[in-house]
Amino acid sequence: MHGSYTDFIEGISPFLGGYYLALSAMNAVMAFYLWHYKHKTGQAVFWVVVSFLLVAVASAAMGGSPLGIPEDIRKFIDWATGPVIYSVGTTALLVIAYLARRWLVQPMVGWSLLNLSLVVMGLSMANMNFAAIVTKPDNVPIVGLVFLLGFFTWLATAKAVENDDRAREGLPPTESLDNEKVLVWPDLVYTELICMIALTAFLLVWGIALQAPLEEPASAVKTPNPSKAPWYFLGLQEMLVYYDPWMAGVLLPSLIIVGLMAIPFLDFNKQGNGYYTIEQRKFSYIVFQLGFLELWVTLIILGTFFRGPNWNIFGPFEYWDAHKVLALNNVDLSQYFWVDGMGRGLPKAPAGSGLGTQIGYILLRESPGIVLLALYFIVLPPLMAVTFFRGFFAKMGFVRYMLMANLLLFMVALPLKMVLRWVWNLKYIVAIPEYFLNF
Amino acid sequence: MADKKKLSVAEILAAARKADGGGDAEQEAPASEPAASDSEATKPAAEEKKPAAKPAAKPAAKKSGGGRPSVAEMLAAARAEKQGGAAETKDTEKPAAKPAAKPAAAKAADKPAAKASPKPDPAPVKASAPKDTGSILAAARNESKPGPMSKAEAARRSGDGKQSAKAQKPRITVPPMPVKPEYAKPKEPKKEADAERRGFLMGVLLGSLFGIGWTSTAMTFGLWTLGTARFMFPNVLTEPPSQFKVGFPSDFTPGQVETKFKAQYGVWVVNYEYEGVPSIYALRSVCTHLGCTPNWLEGEQKFKCPCHGSGFYKDGINFEGPAPRPLERFGIRIADDGQIEIDKSKLFQEEIGQWSDPASYVPV
Repeated sequence: MHGSYTDFIEGISPFLGGYYLALSAMNAVMAFYLWHYKHKTGQAVFWVVVSFLLVAVASAAMGGSPLGIPEDIRKFIDWATGPVIYSVGTTALLVIAYLARRWLVQPMVGWSLLNLSLVVMGLSMANMNFAAIVTKPDNVPIVGLVFLLGFFTWLATAKAVENDDRAREGLPPTESLDNEKVLVWPDLVYTELICMIALTAFLLVWGIALQAPLEEPASAVKTPNPSKAPWYFLGLQEMLVYYDPWMAGVLLPSLIIVGLMAIPFLDFNKQGNGYYTIEQRKFSYIVFQLGFLELWVTLIILGTFFRGPNWNIFGPFEYWDAHKVLALNNVDLSQYFWVDGMGRGLPKAPAGSGLGTQIGYILLRESPGIVLLALYFIVLPPLMAVTFFRGFFAKMGFVRYMLMANLLLFMVALPLKMVLRWVWNLKYIVAIPEYFLNF
Repeated sequence: MADKKKLSVAEILAAARKADGGGDAEQEAPASEPAASDSEATKPAAEEKKPAAKPAAKPAAKKSGGGRPSVAEMLAAARAEKQGGAAETKDTEKPAAKPAAKPAAAKAADKPAAKASPKPDPAPVKASAPKDTGSILAAARNESKPGPMSKAEAARRSGDGKQSAKAQKPRITVPPMPVKPEYAKPKEPKKEADAERRGFLMGVLLGSLFGIGWTSTAMTFGLWTLGTARFMFPNVLTEPPSQFKVGFPSDFTPGQVETKFKAQYGVWVVNYEYEGVPSIYALRSVCTHLGCTPNWLEGEQKFKCPCHGSGFYKDGINFEGPAPRPLERFGIRIADDGQIEIDKSKLFQEEIGQWSDPASYVPV
């Protein structure tokens, strides 16, 4: 183990040295830009200092002893990426990012966050387990995409905040200022050509530098452990952990597609067409951020980096132990209700009874879950209509409102179920395995 | 839009037509009026553009007499030029080349002539006329160099012109073939009855590039089809026998999960108990969630699926992860020779009470 660790450090040190040098150069360029074009000498000096610090860090890495993250902090991060804290924490981060967006969109704040995340990643790479996950050829593009997504989210927010400020002063959005017509040929086609060439060059370099993540020959009786879907489906795979295959594999994906198609018909807000804005489309913005960043992207990150052997959750610095023991005794709601709550056995049809009696007993057994679901999907929408969705209900009418409310409830059902599973080990709210009906 | 002086497509076309029309620009100008006036915003731009287009067309018309040649005229000129010195030398001024493009052809015909020969008679035309595409092309074809040329060159050129003019269809003089040596002479073909038929077939299949192309394509597709057909019958027996013997009951110690049959038959043979009754049963190694193959973890004493983390106790009952129901049992019995025989064609599901079926276990 120790020998392989020194091998690992020897292997990763030159890479980390180059990585920190690239970061240093990046900051030096930014400092030059600030000083020469923006005439902000103070900020420029700060980034020059950062750049020099990074050179020092790079030389340490080149010398074979890259800086790492102290063990206490690693332990804390491993603990914080446990499922409950991870999901609640990402939600909290999203809320903070929404409330503090005016502060976040300042260029220097964005630049600092970028630097911080890159440096933290570099420091973490000195850890063997972290490096093993991040440098897996499957995962390299996902790491890149995470940064790309962060950048585009930041950019869109910055533009939206700018437009919101302009709208408050009665000015038109920035997008309407630049309405000069450009031609498809040559303006667009030329840009596309350049992008095409650049992308091809990039793919070539990538294909040469990184080996294809090929595995052993396929076998019908041997499933790789862990067995992961393509990265873009890891959200779905994560969903399958909490729901029955019919629900998570068929019904919910269909609902996602139908729901996306329904958006133009449900949306009554005429504002925000063709420009970035948050203030004018608060509801749409929040729902999208919840659905995309929270329910799709964070689940992809969870599935890519934190799901290990036997589909257990591992912290980023944790060794992927195939024999990690976790207490995951999942219990159906009916079990909780009848056995733990009422202190008696599950209602069971007497042997040899007819089909009707059997179904009656099954319904009785699952009645707590059925009542709960009815409350959630039937009683909750009207309740929302008379409380905080009063304006929506008035504008949308009954049918559109009910559609919107039910789609929203289905969407929120996923994180709710996840929390229920993690906190109370709840397996299914309604479990009728006899007829493949589980929710 | 107007202040940026951007032209709409219609305006550009109108302007181009005006410029093209040469002398006809005057008549065509009104035609562009409606196109320009269909939108209020574009009108000023069109008005502004019109005078610009007219002067451009007019001087050209004055200079060359006939106006700047239109595209059609240029093409006609080029076409006329292609026919070589024919029009040029037989009768330089003969305009009968193409009745449709009469003046243009005539003009084009005499222009290259002026360039090709040093005779000065059409020279003024050449000097005054703007260089249009037709004439430039013609000049290039005539290999005429710009600038002065030596007397010898000029003589040669004019001579060439005459010669080529005279021979409208140049007579080809074939040099005599060298006498074929003996070994190169074609042998007498052996006379066979079906030689001609075979030759016909080969001619159709391989006689031309077209034939070769289609033949090779057809052969490729034929081979592909054959290969696909072969692919449907792989060299393996796809189904292992559905009934097989795994050994005597005494081979399985109590509490043991035998995993050695998993790779070949997809089954775990377990000697354990279910609802307090010790028995041997065969569990199907397919997860009831989405069909992955779970692993038996000896240390944890459970079956664990690597896809979504479903877990099953030793008796096959699901207890963690999303699997909604227990693992399935295969049919099992004691064969006549005392060995345990597993029948994969029979399945027993716990959730519908089939595990109480005596065919689903062997009591120990």
